[in-house]
Order: sequence, then structure tokens, then C-alpha cells
Amino acid sequence: MSLTLAERQAISAAARWYAALQSGVATDAERAAWNAWLVADPVHLQAWQRMTAVAEQMASVPGAVAAPALRGLERSRRQVLRSVMILVPAASLGWLSWRSDTPQQLFADFRTTVGERRQFQLADGSSLWLNTDSAVNVRYDGSQRLLDLLQGEILISTAPDAAQRPFKIHTRHGEVLALGTRFIVRTHEQNAEVAVIEKAVEVRTASAGAAIRVEAGQRLDFNKRSSGAVQRSDASVGAWQQGSIIAVERPLAELLADLSRYRRGVLRCDPQIARMKVSGAFPVDDTDLALTALESGLSLRVTRFSRYWVHVSAAAVSH
Amino acid sequence: MSANDASLHTAVNDLYCEHHGWLNRWLRQRLGNAFDAADLTQDTFVRVLKARSALEIREPRPYLSRIANGLLIDLFRRRSLEQSYLQALAAMPEALQPSPEEQAIMLQALVEIDRLLQGLGPKVKQVLILSQFDGLSYPQIAAQLGISLRSVNKHMAKAMEHCCLMQIQMQLA
Repeated sequence: MSLTLAERQAISAAARWYAALQSGVATDAERAAWNAWLVADPVHLQAWQRMTAVAEQMASVPGAVAAPALRGLERSRRQVLRSVMILVPAASLGWLSWRSDTPQQLFADFRTTVGERRQFQLADGSSLWLNTDSAVNVRYDGSQRLLDLLQGEILISTAPDAAQRPFKIHTRHGEVLALGTRFIVRTHEQNAEVAVIEKAVEVRTASAGAAIRVEAGQRLDFNKRSSGAVQRSDASVGAWQQGSIIAVERPLAELLADLSRYRRGVLRCDPQIARMKVSGAFPVDDTDLALTALESGLSLRVTRFSRYWVHVSAAAVSH
Repeated sequence: MSANDASLHTAVNDLYCEHHGWLNRWLRQRLGNAFDAADLTQDTFVRVLKARSALEIREPRPYLSRIANGLLIDLFRRRSLEQSYLQALAAMPEALQPSPEEQAIMLQALVEIDRLLQGLGPKVKQVLILSQFDGLSYPQIAAQLGISLRSVNKHMAKAMEHCCLMQIQMQLA
């Protein structure tokens, strides 16, 4: 079945009327004119009922949920699936990651393997999430609650302590003191970073400079001797807790480096496309799916030499 | 079953025997898991059967992979919608979090809404979302997007017409 011309035209008109009446600034004259149109022809009425059916369907999900969901999708799809991309001439960014499987701290109290994320409840009621490939020792005593972050990334949600012991995260680059809060600490070879989601923390570098206060919505990089400036952090911080990496206009090489934290083996990015800007939400529990999305959306070629050896390059252009 | 139907079924059956092996492997490579690949392989042949065009297929491989690719993209759309939906939920206060049953119903409703919106230009879609889901008035939308009131109005009419035609099409399918 297809629509008759009259039906098709009535739908166009109904859509225009609907748009006019939705404006929030429609006049009485407009409403009267719409009413006249509506009763002039049964086909108009039918078209209008169709329009309201569409509006009803849209109203079936609360706007507060639907709007960000549809919009988030729009962003990821526009850039990931509809292959809108910006190619910038190459810089050399060759080997993204080389994961040798030599776990630093096999005997840590809490640890996760590559690709694993886990949540633990600590003795005082605080919550501890370990991101992929991370290790933590817990040292609680009468005077303090201390976590030793040996490797990787953690998210802490502290609970108030009856004995009012301070809550600290120790890394080899410095110490983070929690001020009743929710925050993320990640340690690297050369530096560490902290990002605060709620309340605030204080950071003291290992060489014991002055304490630096980092508030909710801010992040800070630091190493043994010094710290960078306190910066605004973006919405993507801590998305791993919900199982995704959120990228907004991120260079492809960075995104792949981030994805490679969640998978074993080598994920290599062709330097030619390292700076291509990508946006989207990518699942960390299924990095192959993320690669598939990049492949189909950005016309990339993902070559799998083996499960542990993946090469991402630009697809060959066909003429 | 008419003679026509019988030969159609035979044709699909032959296609299936000859091609489901590589198609399954092809999908598995892209999906990285056997379950989804098996499902999509099956769905691909169901599509072929429904399209009733099995008798006219000259080049089965490109034909089948084109259908399978469409299904693959559908699956990914659904997954990525699910993900942005869960993120949107996570941002809501706990007291307002819907039950798991309500969540499943809402997700399905969202998938259907998303289907109505398929094919809209980015600007038009943006206007529609701001109006219908964020509840903004046209002057607010115009200010936020830096476009004229007239454009907002035009985009809205276009979006509603498109969604209405999509809804009719889906009801017929």
C-alpha cells in the first residue's frame, strides 16, 4: 500500500501545523486557522491523528532520558558510523602499546587482569573499583586508611569513618588525601593523575611540596617532583566504571591507546591516521566491537594478524 | 504452496547450503563472537526469503554481504543506543531510576523512536530533540543553535513529516 497524493499532502500540511503550534509562541489566530484546516477535510483529520500518534510515541520515554540517549547516539553515529572525519597529515605515532605480560604485583591484595574491572567493598564501607590491569594493597591501621596503588587506575568512593582516620592513596609519585569524596587515581611509569568527581582531594607530590587542592570537576597530573596546573576534566572521566570509553573529538591514536588497555596484545595504528578526530562511546568489555564500529564507520581497515596482533589503517581507496 | 513458492524455497535452500559457511565466518570476524554471528547469518537468509528475490540473484556473495552488513549496522546501532541510554540513566538521581522491567520497555521504545529519526539531517534532528524531548520553546532553540525562528519552525515541520512517514512505513512493514 502507498499513500495517495492527497494523503501525502495532508501529512505535509499537518507537520507544518504541528510545528507552528509547538513553537511555544503560537497565536490565537494561528490556532483558529489550524482548526479551520482540520475540519475542512476528513483526510486532514486523519493526517493530524497520525501526527499526534508520532508525538505520543516520542512522549513514551521521559525526555530526560531520551534526549541525552538520542543525542549521544547522534554524536557517536555521526562520527563513528556515518564516517564524518577529519584527516590531518601524519605525525609519527607508531607503536601504540606493547603489552608484555609481566604483572608487576602478582601478590597485591586486590588486582585485575587486562580487560577486567572489579568492585570491592572495603572494611570501613568505602567502595573501591579497579580498572583494567590494576593492583592495590590495602593498609588500614589505627591512625589511617591507606591504599597503595601499585599499578593501573582506581575509583574510590569514601565512607565516613567512625574513628575519623584520614583516607589516603599512595602512589610512587605522590599521595592523595581524600576529603569525603569520590575520585579517580591513575598511576603511570612517569607520572600519576587524579580526577575528582565529588567534593575534593589534596595532592602532595613525593618530594613533599605544598598540598594542592583539586575540586570536583577538576583533574591534576603530577610526578615525584612537581605537578601540572589544575585543569577542568571532561565528562568522559570515570566512564569506564560503566563500561565505556567516551571520546569527544579525540585523536584516533589516543582512543586506540585507551582501548588497548583493555585487551591483550598489540594494537597498532597507522601513523597516517593517528590524528583523525573521533567521537563516540566505545565498549571496553568488547573492544572487538569497538574496532568493528571504527572500521565500518570511519572506513578504516582493521587487519587482524592474530587475536593479539591488530593493525588499524586507512581503507584502500577504490576508484 | 504454489510451484513458484516451491522453487523460491529451493533457491533459498541452495543459497543457504552454499553460502552460510563463509557468511558466518565473515560475520564472526566482524563481530568477534559466535552467537551474534550465528543470529545474523540466520537473519540474513530470512531477509532473502522475505524479499522473494532468491531466483534473480546473479552474484550471491556481494548480495548476501550487503544484507548482512545492513544487519550488522542495525545491531551496532542498537548496542550503541543501549549504551548511551544506560549512560543517560546513570546520570539520573537514584530515586528516579526505573525498575529493570521499566528499563527494558523504555529501551525498546527508544529503539523505535530512534528508527523514526533515522535519515534526518543533523540540524533537523537537533531541533527535534530540543523541542520534543528537552521541551524548549522555539525562541530558546533559535538562541541555542544560533539560527532564525523561521528555520526552527521549518526544521520542526520537516522532522515531524519525516517521522510520520517513517511510522506509517513501519506499520506497513
